Amino acid sequence: MTQGVVELRGITKTYRIGREIVVNALRGVDLDVRPGEFIAVMGPSGSGKSTLMNILGCLDVPDGGTYFLAGENVGKLSDDKLAGLRNKHLGFVFQTFNLLPRLNAIENVELPLVYGGDRHARRQRALGALEQVGLGDRVHHRPSELSGGQQQRVAIARALLNDPSLILADEPTGNLDSRSSAEILSIFQRLNDMGKTVVMVTHEPDVAAHCKRIVRMRDGVVARDEVVVKPRRAEDELAVGIGAAE
Amino acid sequence: MKLYDSFRSALQSLVVNKLRSALTMLGVIIGVAAVIAMVSVGNGASQSVQNAILNLGSNLVTVQPQFGNDQGLRGAGAQAQNLTLDDMRSIQDQLGASISAIEAEQGAGRWQVTAAGQNWNTQVTGVTESYPQVRDWALDSGDFFTTSDLNVNAQVAVIGSTTASNLFGDGDAVGQTIQLRQVFGGGKDARARILNFKVVGVFATKGSTFGFSRDDQIIVPITTAQHVLTGQLNRVNAIVVKATSSETMDVTTSDVNSIMLQRHKISDPANADFTVTNQNDTLAALSSVTGTFTLLLGAIGGISLLVGGIGIMNIMLVSVNERTREIGIRKAVGARRGDILVQFLIEAIALTGLGGVLGILLGWGITEVVHRIPQAASLPLLITSGTVIIAVGVSVAIGVVFGLYPAMRAARLHPIQALRYE
Repeated sequence: MTQGVVELRGITKTYRIGREIVVNALRGVDLDVRPGEFIAVMGPSGSGKSTLMNILGCLDVPDGGTYFLAGENVGKLSDDKLAGLRNKHLGFVFQTFNLLPRLNAIENVELPLVYGGDRHARRQRALGALEQVGLGDRVHHRPSELSGGQQQRVAIARALLNDPSLILADEPTGNLDSRSSAEILSIFQRLNDMGKTVVMVTHEPDVAAHCKRIVRMRDGVVARDEVVVKPRRAEDELAVGIGAAE
Repeated sequence: MKLYDSFRSALQSLVVNKLRSALTMLGVIIGVAAVIAMVSVGNGASQSVQNAILNLGSNLVTVQPQFGNDQGLRGAGAQAQNLTLDDMRSIQDQLGASISAIEAEQGAGRWQVTAAGQNWNTQVTGVTESYPQVRDWALDSGDFFTTSDLNVNAQVAVIGSTTASNLFGDGDAVGQTIQLRQVFGGGKDARARILNFKVVGVFATKGSTFGFSRDDQIIVPITTAQHVLTGQLNRVNAIVVKATSSETMDVTTSDVNSIMLQRHKISDPANADFTVTNQNDTLAALSSVTGTFTLLLGAIGGISLLVGGIGIMNIMLVSVNERTREIGIRKAVGARRGDILVQFLIEAIALTGLGGVLGILLGWGITEVVHRIPQAASLPLLITSGTVIIAVGVSVAIGVVFGLYPAMRAARLHPIQALRYE
C-alpha cells in the first residue's frame, strides 16, 4: 500500500462553549488523502469541516483517534512540534488571505523560510514561487497595493515555498469575484497537475466541481465521499469569459 | 528564527510606529537621563567633599583638647589647657620614623595687617616647623621657618598667596616686612599694638575648604604666637600627625592615644582630656553621608526609569493585541513559541536599549549645562563608566522585565484564535 499524505482514523473533537454547552464537532472521522489528490470538503455550517481543517492543518489536536501526516504520527504533539510540522509539511491558503500588511509580496512569501530552512536560498525560492503564480512583476508591492486575487496568489506562493506535502485551502475564493476565483482555481488545478496535493474547504458546488473528489461532512462525520468524474477546468472558463463560470 | 530576522522585524515595527516608539522611548530616555544626571551630581558632591578633606593634608591623625565635663558643667574651650608643645615633641620622639611628620598649631585670631601702604585683615596661626610636610603644602617662593626660628620666637611669617597678592600685588613678598596690629579700647583711648614680621615664604595656591580660602592666612612660628601674639604660653589647639600611609593610620592613631594617656596619667580612656581623630574615619563618615545622598538622587531617577518601564509594558501589550492576527499567521507558517517570544522581547529591548543610549546622551548634556551654571562650576560632575554601564544594563534589563510578560502572552496565543481575531 502506498503511503498516504493524510490518514485519519476515528478522529473526535469536542469543544466546550462556556461552562455547560458541549459541542461534538467531530464524532469519528476516517479520511485518507493520497498524493496528487484534489479534494473539496463541503458541508453546512456546524458540520465540522472547519474543525477538520484545523486538525488537518495541525493547528489543533484531536481528542481521540489517530492522525498520520506524511507518515508521522501527529498524535498529541507539543505546540512547538506542531509548528515544525506545519512549517515542513503544510501550506495554508485562507479566505481572508492573511498576509502581513507591513511586508511586501516577496517578504510575505519568504515567511515560512524565516522559521525553517536556509536563509541564503530564501529570496531566490520566493521569487520562483511568485513567478509560478504569475506575480513576478509585483514582487515589491505591499498587500494594500494588490487586488484581492493578487493577494490570494501571493498567499498561494507562500504556501508553496516549503514544497509542502499538503496544501490546505479554507474557502480560498470566498472573498473574490468570479474572474479572480477562476484564476485562483486554475492555479490550484495547475499545481495539482504538477503533483501537488490540495484539500479545499468550500460551500459552493461550482467551486467544488473543479476538484477530483468531494467529501461531504454532516454532524461531525463524513456523510458522503464521491469521485468527480469529469472535473471542470478553470482555464477553459477563463478562455470563454467570466459569465461561463456562473 | 534567526536572530538577524528578529532584529530586522523588531526594528521594522518600531519604524512603522515612529511616533508611538518615540513617545514610549521618551519614558526610558528621561529615566536614564535622570539617573545619569542625578548620580553624577551625587558623585560630584561626594568627590568635592573628599577633595576638601584631603586638601587639609592626607593621612592625618589629629589630637584636640577634650573639654572637661565636670558635674554637668562644661568647661570653656579656652580654659582647657591640656595640650602642650611638650606633648607634641614627646609623640615626635617616641614614634620617630614610624610616622611621616608631626606639627602643633595654635590659632592667634584675626589681625589687621599692613605692608607697603596696603591694609588687610586676616587669620594668623602659629605652627611648628613640619607644617608644610603635614599639610602637603609646598611653598611658591622663599623657605619655611625652622626650629631655630621657633627657639628664638622669631618674628617671621609665611603667608598665603591671596594675602601676598593683596598686600604686595604682583611684587615679591619674600624679604618684605608686614605689620600686625591690634587695637585696644575704643574712641580717644584707643591704643594700637604694632608688631613687625619679616615674610620668609609664600605658600603655593591651595584653594578653599568648605568655603574658607586657605590662601588667605599668615603662618608664624608657634612659639612666637604663644609669646608675642596670644600670651597663652605652652598651649596648643591641635597636634596633627601625618601617618606614613592610609594603612598605618589605625596603628598611628592608637599609638598617639596611648602616649597621650600615659603623659596625661589617665587610666580610663573614657576620661581622656583629649580626642584623637583619624582622617579615615572623617572621610568614611562623610562618604556615608554623600553615599546616601547619591543613593537618594539615584532612587529618584530610578523611579522615573520604573515609570518608563511600565510605559514600555503598556505599549507592548497594545502592540501584541494589535498584532494578534500577525502572530496567528506566523504561527501557521511554522513559528514556534520561542520565535514569537524572542521577536517581541527584542522589540522591547530595542526600545529600551535605544532609549538608554539616548538617555545617556541627554544626561551627559544635562551635566554639561549644569557645569555652565556659575554656582555649580566648582562641583565636579562625574559620569563614570560604571554609571553608563549600569544605566545601559538597567534599561536593557527593563526591556527584558517589562517586555517579557507581553511577549509571553504573544507566544502563548493559540494559532486558531489568533487567526480568527478581528
